[in-house]
Amino acid sequence: MLKMQNIRKSYRTDTIETHALRDFSLEVNEGEFVSVTGPSGSGKTTFLNIAGLLETPTGGQYLLDGQEVGNLSDSERSRLRNEKIGFIFQGFNLIPDLNLFDNIDVPLRYRGFNAKERRRRIEKSLEQVGLSARAKHLPAQLSGGQQQRVAIARALAGEPRFLLADEPTGNLDSLMARQVMELLEFINEWGTTIVMVTHDPELARRAQRNIQIVDGQVSDLRQTIAQPEAAIA
Amino acid sequence: MIGYYISLAMRSLRGTPILSALMIAAIAVGVGASMTVLTLNYMMSQNALEHKDSVLYAVQLDSWDPNQAADTANEIPWQLTYPDAIALLRSDIPTRQVAMHRFGFTVNIDESELRPFTANTRVTTRDFFSLFDVPFEYGGTWNKEADTAAVQSVVLSKETNDKLFGGENSVGKIVKLNGEPFTVIGVLKHWNPSPKIYDLNNNPFADSEELYIPFGLHRKFEIYSWGNTNGWTSRTAEGAEGYERFLLGEHVWIQYWVELDNAEQREAYEQFLTGHIHQQKEQGRFERPLKFALSPPSEWLVLNEVLENDNRVLGWASLAFLLVCVINAVALLLAKFLRKAPEAGVRRALGASRNAIFTQHLIESSCIGVLGGLFGIILALAGLTGIRVLAMGQADQIAAMNWEMMLAAVGLAILASILAGLYPAWRISRTNPSVYLKTQ
Repeated sequence: MLKMQNIRKSYRTDTIETHALRDFSLEVNEGEFVSVTGPSGSGKTTFLNIAGLLETPTGGQYLLDGQEVGNLSDSERSRLRNEKIGFIFQGFNLIPDLNLFDNIDVPLRYRGFNAKERRRRIEKSLEQVGLSARAKHLPAQLSGGQQQRVAIARALAGEPRFLLADEPTGNLDSLMARQVMELLEFINEWGTTIVMVTHDPELARRAQRNIQIVDGQVSDLRQTIAQPEAAIA
Repeated sequence: MIGYYISLAMRSLRGTPILSALMIAAIAVGVGASMTVLTLNYMMSQNALEHKDSVLYAVQLDSWDPNQAADTANEIPWQLTYPDAIALLRSDIPTRQVAMHRFGFTVNIDESELRPFTANTRVTTRDFFSLFDVPFEYGGTWNKEADTAAVQSVVLSKETNDKLFGGENSVGKIVKLNGEPFTVIGVLKHWNPSPKIYDLNNNPFADSEELYIPFGLHRKFEIYSWGNTNGWTSRTAEGAEGYERFLLGEHVWIQYWVELDNAEQREAYEQFLTGHIHQQKEQGRFERPLKFALSPPSEWLVLNEVLENDNRVLGWASLAFLLVCVINAVALLLAKFLRKAPEAGVRRALGASRNAIFTQHLIESSCIGVLGGLFGIILALAGLTGIRVLAMGQADQIAAMNWEMMLAAVGLAILASILAGLYPAWRISRTNPSVYLKTQ
């Protein structure tokens, strides 16, 4: 599904060059649920941005679904991102002046679906996260957990094969975090590949595999065997 | 997607009403000011006879003072003397030709409660109506004899016929001009070209005349000119007295136009004019070097500086003012768009390309332009109304906005707002979305 080889990413200012990722290599298989941990500033978010085609690496090779994405134009990368990748952010990133229906509509608009198909997908994804009755509410009228569920619904509406979650429970209390985590596990069971960045070791253990990033490199590739119920307990 | 972007734009405008109002106001003021001036310039630059540019010519002959050239753009008097006009009328080379000038009569009709009134009158030869495409509602022009003989016929404008006869067919009825009976032989449809290209010497933006009478009536009624009359000597009218002295003197007051359908005809007419000048030189007139001019309508408008340099400068100044407004709008748009950068970042993450973000924001600035244009039209209409009031009726024809100019106003506003939006839209489309996704 995702294959990175010797990925490098550096940011340059007038005086300093910072290496966010150095010879970063990783492979994520179809249907996997992978957690990514590491200290702050280790390069987790940079990895996620590159994986989500929001940033381009300085060097190395990135294959997404077997396709080399390094030389794609912005339009091609955007289309690929829209069709294959779903994002879930720590801060939810819902558009505040759009109601839930219109928020979930955003990626579907860029996909070019007709109105009927968009409505079908929006209603279905709202139903999946249990918020059908709140379609006309604004994000500010929802709790944090509900907002994150809307964000998940928005990510799911396009039926992506690859879900990237950047600390999806970071802004939630433990109960909400558990609900969101269960939802992600449920989504993974449908076959969606998930890569989740988290600081929470318990959540990381619930993934099938954990990757630790330190100083822009993969330092540990550990298989996580623990069952979700066991981890929460 | 365009409809989606427009709905996003309207939502965004509603979301920041004060900022949006400021941007719309900036565009509206700029468009209003520039369209006021550009409308005046546009209306002044109209050429109702453009389609006759290759066949219609204003005739100028240099019969002026040998010691001083005429004070005109081409140093030839704008108008002709009466003797020259009479001589030129004898030529059968032009397909049509018109000698004419402005005059005025007191008008009344018997057994009418209508009070006598003064009417602007054109004293002209019969070809005037066909040469300048003047449409008739009833009747037609007079016979050729009336161009040289005293035939008391009159053609009424539509407005005059409405006033005198309530708009009915008045052909055959009698109208008193300065107390003398004239038979109505024709009534025009509404006709009011602006600028009045056939008579640029007497306020080119005044209304067309209310009456038209034959050219052959000069001596019978001692018709002087109510228009611009210039002279430099009466030497050529020595021995003549009174009105005859005016007619025969070196006074230029007759406007002259000819229709020459092809190059051969024009060449023949130029030879005719050359012959006429040589003949006059032998009689002691035309002491300056041989010079005449045949100017088509478009050239005639330029020569007469209908659109003065001051107007052109004012036009550029108004566009410069619009530019200042656009620069203000750029700053406001930049502030607005950059405030929305996190939303653009989210949209990028959800699949919007840079071009999509750029287009979305450019359409938002275009919507501001459309609204600015609509308000700009209102401001321009107010400006033109102010000009009409200040000009006390002298600018009614030109200080008016037609549909073309209204569309141009909206077009100008959209263009201005697109120009204003280009940089802000480009900036926001180039921002790195990941920055906003983490920090939102």
